Amino acid sequence: MAIRLILVDDHALVRDALAQVLAAVPDLDVVGTAGDGAAGLKLAREVEPDVVLLDIALPDENGLLLIGKFRTVCPTANVLMLSMHSEPEYAAESVARGASGLVAKSEVPEAFIDAIRSVACGAQLEVQHPLSPRERDVLGGVARGCSNEEIADDLGLQPKTVEGYCQRLMDRLDLHTRVGLAGYARRLGL
Amino acid sequence: MEKIRVVLADDHVLVRTGVRALLASHGIEVVSEAGDGRELLRDVRRHRPNIALVDISMPLLDGIEATRRIGNVSRDTRVVLLTMHKDPRFAARAIDAGAWGYVVKDEAIERLVDVVLSVASGKRCLPDGIEPSRDDLTTKEREVLQLIFEGNKNADIARIMSRSVNTVRAHRARLMRKLGVGSATELLDVAEQRGLIPWQAARKVDR
Repeated sequence: MAIRLILVDDHALVRDALAQVLAAVPDLDVVGTAGDGAAGLKLAREVEPDVVLLDIALPDENGLLLIGKFRTVCPTANVLMLSMHSEPEYAAESVARGASGLVAKSEVPEAFIDAIRSVACGAQLEVQHPLSPRERDVLGGVARGCSNEEIADDLGLQPKTVEGYCQRLMDRLDLHTRVGLAGYARRLGL
Repeated sequence: MEKIRVVLADDHVLVRTGVRALLASHGIEVVSEAGDGRELLRDVRRHRPNIALVDISMPLLDGIEATRRIGNVSRDTRVVLLTMHKDPRFAARAIDAGAWGYVVKDEAIERLVDVVLSVASGKRCLPDGIEPSRDDLTTKEREVLQLIFEGNKNADIARIMSRSVNTVRAHRARLMRKLGVGSATELLDVAEQRGLIPWQAARKVDR
């Protein structure tokens, strides 16, 4: 039996393009699409899909907060977040809030389709090690342009400790400069 | 009218795949796909398409910069820019860079097809009431700005741009002087405020 999906994304072209990719797959059936959170919830209530493909950045509502609402409105649906970037931070947070995982729009179709099939069976997608609260604090300081000394001062740490955090973060995120790290932190809204 | 040949550039592979199939169903052939601005230029040089359909937000070289260069690389290729964002400053730069069309992704595929067909027949499809505008950075300075933001060190920037590290340092220094900043993180702030970084204009997710 086909897996029934709904697609919630505020960009019509993206909805059309994703629906097109999915139309070619016989065991996946897009039963509806919506352009914002409210319309998506209404649709989910009506059609009771197996999977909700949910864009993380919707205009009317906090994408992450919507996860819980979808799970309430349709407890049998598994939520798969869609994101512009593959930020591990959002993936971990999505899962913490009840989604089954996150797929970046930069992924190849095969990976996207595999992810849908996995979450439809109730599986949770593997999530990279999320940021710890301390790492988030340090990143927040970097986003604001603070020096290691200033961050250390704010957080009650030694500057060398802050330096260590920054270096480990840069390694993990494959960024080679502080401004790259700052850019990343800002994209996350830190 | 002769068959329309398109090069499609967007780093969102999923969206790119779907758009290619949708265009094909409307009789528009995508001859090549690119995932960043530099790959796009190589593809345009090789295929000389009628139309380059280009997302503004791409790594290495954004769509607006690429539009400027496509004019030099392939005179007959017309660029239609695609964007997630409605910031009119990007539209103004797109027009200044020589784009023939400009489509926001919140419009459905039919709109994109219309624009591609119009542009192919010689008609520009640009938003009304927007004056072309350009910042005072040079092409090279803008290129360095994007590469700095993507977390590249000077040595990497030099390699990507096929220039010496000293040249990169000089561009970087002039860039920072023009924007009136003393540090790379200040650069981030100012560049963001002035709408200089379309590829970085991610929509923030509220927590």
